[in-house]
Amino acid sequence: MALADACNFSQSFSNFAAIPTALGPQDGLSDFQNALQSSENFTIPQNYDPVRDMKTLVDGDKDVKIEFDHGTTTLAFKFKHGVIVAVDSRATAGPYIASQTVKKVIEINPYLLGTMAGGAADCSYWERVLAKQCRIHELRNKERISVAAASKLLANIVYNYKGMGLSMGTMICGWDKRGPGLYYVDSDGTRLTNDMFSVGSGSTYAYGVLDSGYNYDMSVEDAYQLGERAIYHATHRDAYSGGTVNMYHMKETGWIKVSANNVLDLHYKYAEEKKQ
Amino acid sequence: MECLIGIKGKDFVIVASDTISARSIVSMKQDHDKMFKLSDKIVMACSGESGDTVQFAEYISKNIQLYKMRNGYELSPRAAANFTRRNLAEYLRSRTPYQVNMLIGGYDETDGPSLFYMDYLAALIEAPFAAHGYGSFFVLSLLDRYYRDDVTQEGAIKLLHQCIDEVQKRFIVNLPTFKVRCINKDGITDLPDLRAGKQ
Amino acid sequence: MKTLGHMINSRFGSHLFDLLSSCRKNFHILSKQPKISVNIGQMDTVEEYQHGGPKQAYFNPYAFNGGTVLAVAGEDFSVVASDTRLSEGFSIFTRDNPKTYNLTSNTVLGCTGFHGDALTLTKVLEARLKMYEHEHHKPMSTKAIAAMLSTILYYKRFFPYYVNNILGGLDEEGKGCVYSFDPVGSYERESFRAGGTASSMLQPLLDNQIGFKNQIGVDQTPLTKEKAIFLVKDVFTSAAERDIYTGDQLIINVITKDGTRTEYFPLRRD
Repeated sequence: MALADACNFSQSFSNFAAIPTALGPQDGLSDFQNALQSSENFTIPQNYDPVRDMKTLVDGDKDVKIEFDHGTTTLAFKFKHGVIVAVDSRATAGPYIASQTVKKVIEINPYLLGTMAGGAADCSYWERVLAKQCRIHELRNKERISVAAASKLLANIVYNYKGMGLSMGTMICGWDKRGPGLYYVDSDGTRLTNDMFSVGSGSTYAYGVLDSGYNYDMSVEDAYQLGERAIYHATHRDAYSGGTVNMYHMKETGWIKVSANNVLDLHYKYAEEKKQ
Repeated sequence: MECLIGIKGKDFVIVASDTISARSIVSMKQDHDKMFKLSDKIVMACSGESGDTVQFAEYISKNIQLYKMRNGYELSPRAAANFTRRNLAEYLRSRTPYQVNMLIGGYDETDGPSLFYMDYLAALIEAPFAAHGYGSFFVLSLLDRYYRDDVTQEGAIKLLHQCIDEVQKRFIVNLPTFKVRCINKDGITDLPDLRAGKQ
Repeated sequence: MKTLGHMINSRFGSHLFDLLSSCRKNFHILSKQPKISVNIGQMDTVEEYQHGGPKQAYFNPYAFNGGTVLAVAGEDFSVVASDTRLSEGFSIFTRDNPKTYNLTSNTVLGCTGFHGDALTLTKVLEARLKMYEHEHHKPMSTKAIAAMLSTILYYKRFFPYYVNNILGGLDEEGKGCVYSFDPVGSYERESFRAGGTASSMLQPLLDNQIGFKNQIGVDQTPLTKEKAIFLVKDVFTSAAERDIYTGDQLIINVITKDGTRTEYFPLRRD
């Protein structure tokens, strides 16, 4: 705690509990240490309900319309040799493909990965906050944070903003003392652990491929094939998913990036395999 | 779509809950435990808005455990149920109400077993048997028909099994397994999961 | 000591921030006052006098002013361009409003959407850049500006700036870089990006001409500065032909290690 005290972190820790004042009057005297975690820095007018008052902007058919980047297929599964994380890379704003090169796996630290589904800004911002909190945990406790704790931290943070319109469906993957870890956290405040998750508009397609080919004792190569194929088939059926398949493998020694293959190339590769 | 069932006997209560965790049309977890231990002899089964259930149940269970630490004795099931109700009622009139339905089953040395039904509007009822969710529409009539207040533990489990069979036969949503816990003078025991058909 | 410095500056920053955003807050409070009658002079129906339950006048503090921006990154340069038309609905407000903002000697921001928010946002950015320069005795790098812009946008997650931002500049190695943002701060580094009303016309053309997307056997020559400027002029000329919100004049900022050079190019003015 000495380092924390020297850096004035104790103050920020006590303020951490102050998040729920989301819609209180703004005094404008917010503290820098709250900058990443406190809603006091979020500019909200008085009598403003973000869900009600942003509805016309997001759903309206007027000229003024904000379209956040949306749409995704992400998946992660645990197996004998760790956790496989695979995602697509498409971002859509309505029917327009806003980007085909989104990095939907967020590298929180060498032992933690987060995935991105829902609002792109919500995911990347709050997982950045999580990365900071995880680092602070390491400095305070001289050991890495567990996947369970990290995921709960994120779930508790977003739970404080429940009903304010955040949109986030993420999988926190890692390796700690208990071995491989996989948690699903979303903006409702849900937090679940399981051997396999898939999130996003293409998740049902990914589950279909995943469930039929999954086996906990499968080899690393088979797992790579399965992850990549599940995302590929999801991008094939779900118009909101596409681009490239980015895949990561969480091992005892930390994560590695396995591949980043264009769906176009995979399509012809699989078509070729089918002919043989 | 969730289903909670509770049955009280002369010297025990059993509480059962389905084990599905679903987001929109997808079942994301098939072995989700929806029950929370409030104390050595009180169990709370929760259903409702995702996120709220866990947050509220953990808040209540930690406060009841804190009470035991401060005072050296535990809250009775009746006291725990009323404490929970009060909290839920206060939050109901706040900007952030918890949308949680629950069954609280407990055993008290003097009062014996008790079962409490509470919905998200903080209506608290003590009942010999109770059910939450769509499942209750199928199950309550069965319980009305076959429940006897001198039911044995074996009889209660058989009755519970009958209820679950009915849910699985008539309810459109797939709830294949139910987790079952029994609370009696010896504390909380996990009973084997109940599945359709197998007795 | 450094931590303390940060604290003081950020305090100041958020003060400034509140000041700048207070204007719109007041508007909003006004809107909640008893009906500022919307239907003046439309009392021709009897029903108007009958009580139809409480009504709430809704004030929408946003407008959409059109315009297009484009940024392209090359090996040792980047180009940030925009048209200069400012309009709302069918009215053209001005033919001379560039939507590019020179933030530092090697960073230019392109900002379209709601002009009011674009002004507020660029004012905030200017202030934050000045504060950084006073504290660190050097201008902010393009990468750092991108990260800062992301958080500035996200802090208004629940009442967003209605703007599309594209940032062009040079990275630490002197290579051209482009960052594109959504209205609430999701951002990504890319090599070319169009934003604004004609973005869906420009982007596919750039995908073809610069990204060589989905083409087999194409000669993937690296982009030269001359070709980039040439392309920018071409795509904007085409966009002005089909998009009512794009036209009048094109402003092209070419960023190299020697600084930013500005070029103008006429577009359709009808």
